[in-house]
Amino acid sequence: MQALLSFDQAPPISVPLRFFLTAPLFAMLAGALLLWSGPDLFASRWTPEALALTHLITAGFMLQVMLGAMQQLLPVVAGANIARPRLIATLVHATITPGTLFLVAGFLTYQPWLFGCAVVFLGLGISIFVAATAFALHGVPANSPIILGLKLALAGLSVTVVFGLLLALALGWSFDLPLIQLANIHLGWGFVAWGCAALGAVGFVAVPMFQLTPDYPGWFGRSFAYSALGFVLLWTLAELAAWTMAASLLSVMVVLIAVVFALTTLRIQRRSKRVRPDPVQRFWQIAMFSALAACTLWLLARFSPLLEDWQGWPLLFGTLLLFGGFMSVIVGMLYKIVPFLVWLHLQHRGRGLLTAPNMKKVLAEVHISRQMVAHFTAFGLLVLASFWPQWFVYPAGLALMVANGWLLRNLLAAIQVYRGHLIKIEAVIASRQP
Amino acid sequence: MSQIEHGKKADKVIDARGLEPPEPFVLTMEALDTIGPDEKLLLILAREPHPLYRALQINGFAYQTERTPQGTIEILIWRNPPPP
Repeated sequence: MQALLSFDQAPPISVPLRFFLTAPLFAMLAGALLLWSGPDLFASRWTPEALALTHLITAGFMLQVMLGAMQQLLPVVAGANIARPRLIATLVHATITPGTLFLVAGFLTYQPWLFGCAVVFLGLGISIFVAATAFALHGVPANSPIILGLKLALAGLSVTVVFGLLLALALGWSFDLPLIQLANIHLGWGFVAWGCAALGAVGFVAVPMFQLTPDYPGWFGRSFAYSALGFVLLWTLAELAAWTMAASLLSVMVVLIAVVFALTTLRIQRRSKRVRPDPVQRFWQIAMFSALAACTLWLLARFSPLLEDWQGWPLLFGTLLLFGGFMSVIVGMLYKIVPFLVWLHLQHRGRGLLTAPNMKKVLAEVHISRQMVAHFTAFGLLVLASFWPQWFVYPAGLALMVANGWLLRNLLAAIQVYRGHLIKIEAVIASRQP
Repeated sequence: MSQIEHGKKADKVIDARGLEPPEPFVLTMEALDTIGPDEKLLLILAREPHPLYRALQINGFAYQTERTPQGTIEILIWRNPPPP
């Protein structure tokens, strides 16, 4: 049967796709930045190039995909329909994209006007997104872990951005603010209260569904997002109040939140019904191991003076968390979301006259596997570059560009299938008209 | 209602636990193509398929959902009688 799907809850396919297609371009720029800056980037986490690289990945790659995915997910999982989705997507995309470029240019040049533009564009884009999604979620009861998690993650995103904008203003105009402390708070909110809470919420549904694992335990769904936000909030208050001992203890708790997510995910993945893990499962597995390695490194550096003295550890930590952890999960998710969207929209557009192609034909597994090898090669080289930058920074930059060019190519191939099938549908409809 | 009781009522059974979306949806819709006006299809899943419910309503099917003590979702589906 060419069943008609309920389409009252799905935004147009162009809404999420514009974000998904922009993300790999930012990661390619990150690769180009590595080639341009060379080993100097790895001198410290505070070099202009390291800050620019971090934001090309966090604001350029991760934020784009996560905002695109949330606009797709909210109406479907929560019934929270964003009013005028195309207009909101256009406004958000058209502001955060130049906003990120201004921010990166600001880091590389320290021109105040570039930081100013970044603050205006990113502040505006995120405000529009948060306002539109909060309005859509208003009145939707948080009766499932995914809705609760996404609501709390939105709060996490808002605080992350407020601290980020404050830091950008402080850098642009040399305000007398405790920059390192504020940067750490910005990082804690971004990674845990926004990143982990959002991934936890989406993973709670997506991992069992697509990786054929048992469900996450009930306690995880009930308490993960609250714990992520709660501990980050308490830690921030302790930091700002200069309660050193409490802040130190709470920062460990914040890191343990990420450890709990990684360990719980690995535990249910071990019980997957799949005999052989598919590439997306691999993306998630390696991401979780990498996140665990990052958290272990952080805890060791916190308590071992020997490691604390090594300038390279924050860069290794960032590489493990960003490239190995978040980026791997996000690429894996794109490989499920994009073919599914193509299938869903073609099923609808086919009007019962033409079958939508099988998801495996929209994007063949072999292409995903090959890109996965490129992605993890780039990740491995980046890890090596944080130890021996003079040897590995150029291969790492090149590999990052190749891996993300490949990702873009794969996503475009899926869209090509969509376009080709639409032409067939139009031909069938035309042939039936008298 | 247990799977066996449900199964007795159904003319066709699809156990879609262990299948990745949208495979359960596709299989269900293909099976519904072949069932007669008085026949019933039993779909067994690991979780509730909200998009399927809307699709069933749109396409003129009725359904009854039961959750077993083991957490499995069983959905009995049949064709709505045509309006008089």
